[in-house]
Amino acid sequence: MPYHEFECSKVIPERKQHAVIKGAGEDLTSCLPKGYLNTIPGTISERGCAYCGAKHVIGTPMKDVIHISHGPVGCTYDTWQTKRYISDNNNFQLKYTFATDVKEKHIVFGAEKVLKQNIIEAFKAFPEIKRMTIYQTCATALIGDDIEAVAQEVMDEMPEVDIFVCNSPGFAGPSQSGGHHKINIAWLNQKVGTLEPKITSDYVINYVGEYNIQGDQEVMLDYFHRMGIQVLSTFTGNSSYDDLRGMHRAHLNVLECARSAEYICDELRARYGIPRLDIDGFGFEALGNSLKKVGLFFGIEDRAQAIIDEETAKWKPQLDWYKERLRDKKVCLWPGGSKLWHWAHAIQAEMGVKVVSVYTKFGHQGDMEKGISRCGEGALAIDDPNELENQEAMRMLKPDVIFTGKRPGEVAKKMRVPYLNAHAYHNGPYKGFEGWVRFARDIYNAIYSPIYQLSGLDISKDEIAADKGFVTRRMLSDAGLSDEIKSSPILTEYTGKYDSVTDLRAKTYPEFERKTAASAAE
Amino acid sequence: MDDATKLEQLMDYIMKNCLWQFNSRAKDRRKQNVGVLTKTTQLLCDEPVDNPTPLDKCYWVDAVCLAEAYRERYPWLATMDKTAIKTLMQKLHERLDWLTIDGSLNEELTVQHY
Repeated sequence: MPYHEFECSKVIPERKQHAVIKGAGEDLTSCLPKGYLNTIPGTISERGCAYCGAKHVIGTPMKDVIHISHGPVGCTYDTWQTKRYISDNNNFQLKYTFATDVKEKHIVFGAEKVLKQNIIEAFKAFPEIKRMTIYQTCATALIGDDIEAVAQEVMDEMPEVDIFVCNSPGFAGPSQSGGHHKINIAWLNQKVGTLEPKITSDYVINYVGEYNIQGDQEVMLDYFHRMGIQVLSTFTGNSSYDDLRGMHRAHLNVLECARSAEYICDELRARYGIPRLDIDGFGFEALGNSLKKVGLFFGIEDRAQAIIDEETAKWKPQLDWYKERLRDKKVCLWPGGSKLWHWAHAIQAEMGVKVVSVYTKFGHQGDMEKGISRCGEGALAIDDPNELENQEAMRMLKPDVIFTGKRPGEVAKKMRVPYLNAHAYHNGPYKGFEGWVRFARDIYNAIYSPIYQLSGLDISKDEIAADKGFVTRRMLSDAGLSDEIKSSPILTEYTGKYDSVTDLRAKTYPEFERKTAASAAE
Repeated sequence: MDDATKLEQLMDYIMKNCLWQFNSRAKDRRKQNVGVLTKTTQLLCDEPVDNPTPLDKCYWVDAVCLAEAYRERYPWLATMDKTAIKTLMQKLHERLDWLTIDGSLNEELTVQHY
């Protein structure tokens, strides 16, 4: 096994099994780090907890819901608005956060009474909202509060409301991934099948594992609607609570982030016979294939092809403008979970960069299988890294840019390595054909930002040339390009708008005739 | 080009571009590998493909995309007869089962529940 031992982690020998370098001839039977295990004492993990994984990744993107944490206020306040999962109802779920504000006296005497008071108070404060999710935290789990009983009591007293209880306290797994698992299964067991949806198309899907980061879901829904497909629910970005209760009526589950949501797809397949189709919404070729596969499933592949042709013609020359300027740039692809495999091959094939490292904070070995498969030889793969390991890897690999979260990202910036936010994006959405160009544009802007020339100068000792200005981004990126590329009339920089999402909300779509009168009457 | 190189090219495409082979449990991976590769072989050999259930149809859509990509990228496939294609695809299936199931180091493959 080609394990890689970090100098900084020699004092934690168990860490050695969590990093590998893919060598010549290595495959998955010889090159795979450990994963999804409890963090080793002594290492400073970047992981989140199982409560956070349940609430802030999967629960809270639901848009028409009061999301309340039953526990100390810090559990919800300190994690409030750390994601950019927007919604088309004025971002209700981002603007407001709720907690029962459990204190020491509640730990001693019980917190069920304060929970009930808070539930009623929250519904009264927002009378237009009739749905609620409640999240267990470590403190209230340890004292044994019966949240389900309290929720049922409120629903009996207020029949117009519906409440979902997520029992995933912070300690319920090695990382946030434990929370993803728990809320998947809890939603399926408690809520799926409790509401019959209205079917309006012959082609009905659930779009699963998509959280509408900066509008990703709305971009993908635009494609599906142009194909005449009814998206019954999105699990869970920009989705309605009640839409997600009707997931059992879909013909197909289209799965994007398998890391966070494959559990509900697998259970829907086992319990309801709904097939699971894994797709990639990132990258021209992968996205084109994804739309085509959904189209093929329903026999409407011509509609998918029309979208692919139109979008590719419009955006490919702009993607290629950036590709010419990003060739051979070294990338550390260090996201949380699924993007290490969503992006690893696509950015190399379509943007010309080279992935020199992948890591995952909370991914499982299955994610590393996908990520390592999509990387080339020499790539360093790290599971659950700590900050010192990241710094050592950056010194060793000398990347041109890092795609990661904002905490390790700020560390990278201090080492004068540009970073892009892989979780919440810089200027997304990054899904869709246009989104992929926006991503390339952000990479270009990061790598060639003039600030990295200036930040390397120390005015207390370095000689500063006073007779010339700094080199601009374009001067840097075009220095080695041929005149043919530089003056190409076909290749152009990104021409889209600052906000590529809002207009989609007002868009109308063609009505496709349904196959039979009987099906139309459903 | 020898068979080993051909096999490597076919496998490389799957591992870099596909996701269907990476369901989280061994029992599902085996079903996926059989489902998709059987139908891909039928498509490459111009044989009829039967899709009696939605699950079969789901395997078929991945098979259609895989067969198209193979034909487009690997022109040597067009020079092979059906028997040779079936033999090659059988070897591919065995190799994929080894990489993703039987030789896999993924310790979660045998977990009983999802």
